[in-house]
Amino acid sequence: MIPKNSRSVPLTLIIWGLAAIVAFLILFPLWWIFISSITPAGELFSKPVKYWPAHPTLDSYRYLIKNVGLLPKIGNTAIIVGLSILIGMIISVMAAFSFARFRTRGLSIAVGFLLASMLIPDVVTARPLYDFLRSVHLYDTYTGLIILYISGILPFTVLILQNYLNDIPVSIEESASIDGCGFFQSMFYVTIPLLRPALATVCIVNFITCLNNFFTPLFYSNGISVLSTAITQLPLRDNMYAVPWDLVSAMGWIIILPIIIFVAIFQRQIMEGIMAGGVKG
Amino acid sequence: MYASKKYWMIAWILVLPALLIRIFTTIYPIIETFHISLFEVKLLQGIRKFVGLDNYLQLFHDSKMITSIRFTAIFVVGSMIGHIVLGIILALILNMKFRGQKALRTIVLLPWAMPMVVIAMASKWAFNNEYGLINDFIRRFAPSFNLDWLIYTNTARSAVIAVDLWKDLPFFAILVLAGLQFISSDMYEAAKIDGAGSIRSFFSITLPLISRNILMLSIFFTMWRITSFDVVYAMTSGGPGESTALIAYRVTTEAFTNLNTGYAASIAVVLFLVMAVLSGLSMSAAKRVDY
Repeated sequence: MIPKNSRSVPLTLIIWGLAAIVAFLILFPLWWIFISSITPAGELFSKPVKYWPAHPTLDSYRYLIKNVGLLPKIGNTAIIVGLSILIGMIISVMAAFSFARFRTRGLSIAVGFLLASMLIPDVVTARPLYDFLRSVHLYDTYTGLIILYISGILPFTVLILQNYLNDIPVSIEESASIDGCGFFQSMFYVTIPLLRPALATVCIVNFITCLNNFFTPLFYSNGISVLSTAITQLPLRDNMYAVPWDLVSAMGWIIILPIIIFVAIFQRQIMEGIMAGGVKG
Repeated sequence: MYASKKYWMIAWILVLPALLIRIFTTIYPIIETFHISLFEVKLLQGIRKFVGLDNYLQLFHDSKMITSIRFTAIFVVGSMIGHIVLGIILALILNMKFRGQKALRTIVLLPWAMPMVVIAMASKWAFNNEYGLINDFIRRFAPSFNLDWLIYTNTARSAVIAVDLWKDLPFFAILVLAGLQFISSDMYEAAKIDGAGSIRSFFSITLPLISRNILMLSIFFTMWRITSFDVVYAMTSGGPGESTALIAYRVTTEAFTNLNTGYAASIAVVLFLVMAVLSGLSMSAAKRVDY
C-alpha cells in the first residue's frame, strides 16, 4: 500500500522488525519441539528451559520405532491418505465434470446439496455414523476410514475443479468430437490434461487436509492407528511424568517435518489452492 | 452439445459416487441425530424411551451445558476479534514489498498446514509453569513470574484462545491478503495526489474495499470456531473443571464417554441449527454487501 520509491530507511527497518517478530512467533515453537525431541528425558525438566541439549540423543525416536509401532502407523497413514486422495480425486473429477458440462434442474440441486453438506459439522453426525459403521462392519477398517476421508475432501475438491472447468471452453471438446472422439475419449484426452494444474493444486491441499484429519481416525477406528491420533495415545514411561513429553515432541516432529518440507516446496500451489477455496467458498 | 437425452444418464452416473458418499456420511446420520434427540438413550444403563423434547428442555437447566455455551461464546468472540484485528495487520505486512517477503509468506503457511492436535499437545507443555516455554520466556523479563496457566479458569481459557489464534490467524491473514491484492495501486496513487497519507488511505480505501472479504471470512471462521473440538481435546480436556469444554467437545463426551446418546444428539441438533442460521446469514450478507 505504500509505493516502493517513497520508503525511507526507518520504515524499512520497522517492516523488517515486524516480519521478524511474526517469523519468530511461528518458528520458535517448532524449533523448541525439535530440541525437546532430541533432549534426553531427564534433562527435559530443567529450569530454566534449555534451548540446546547438553547430550543430544535420538532415544525418543528409537523408542517410538521399537515400542510404539511408529512404522506401522506411518504405513497406515500412507495407505489411507494415498488411497483417499487417489480415489477422491477420480470421484471429484467425474462429479465436477458433470456439474460443469450438463445443465438440468436435478443436477443443480445435487450441486447445492454437495456444497450445503459442507456446513454439517463432524460432531453432529459422529455418534449415529459411528453406530452405523459398526452395524455394517466398516468400523475400524481401511475401507471405512478411506470412505470417510474421501467424504471430507469431496465438497471442496468438486467446488474448485468445477470452477476451473467452467473456464475451459466446451468448444474444445466439441472440436474433439468432430475429430471423432467419443464422450469419454474427449474427457480423458482433451479436458483432463487441461485440468492438470488445478488437479495438482487440489491434490496438495487435500494431502495436508487428510494428513491432519484427527476427528475421523479418533472416532471411527481403534486398531488402525494413524499419526495424527497416535500423538495423543503415547504410553506413559517409567511412571515418571504425567505425559511423556520427549515422545510427544518426537512424534510431533515426525508429523511436522514432512509438512514443513512440503509447504516449502509447494508454497505457491498451496497458496493458490486455499485462495481459490477461501475467496469463492 | 450435451443437451441431448443420451447424455442425461452419463451426467448422473458421473455424479453418483460423490453423492452417495456424502449422503452416507451426512444425510443419513443427521436424520438419525434428529431422531434420537427425541429419545432418552443411555447405553450404559440400557435405557431407550421416547421423551419428546425433554432433552432440549434439559439443556437449559444443565449447568455444565451453560458453562459450555458461555465459554464457546467467549472463545468465538475473543478469537474472532483477534483474527480480524491482528489478521488485517499481518495481511498488510505480507502485502508490503520487502526483501524476505516470499520467505515470510511460506512461514505463515506453516501453522495452517500443521495438525491442531500436535499444536495443542505441544501447547499443553508450553504453558506448563515449571518447564514450559511461555513462562520461561516471561521470566527472562520478570524473573519472579509464576503462573500455572492451565489450572485456573481465566488463564486456561486465554491460553486456549491464544493457541487457536497461533494456528489459524496466519491463514486468515493469507485470505485477507488475497482480497488486498485485488485493489489496484492506481487508487493509492490517486489518493496520494489528493494529499492523503498512508493512514488516511488505509481507512478510506483499503478497509472499505476489503470489508466484504473480511465479513465473509469472519462468518466462515466463526462457524469453524463454533465446531472447534481438537484444541480442547488435546490441550485441556475441557478443564479445569468444565471451564474450557467447548460445545463440540461436550457433544462428543456425552456421546462417546458418558454414552448419553439422546442428550448428545439434542446438543448436536442445536449446534446444527446455529450453523444453518449462520450460513443463511452469510448467504444473504454475500448478496447484500457490495462495494
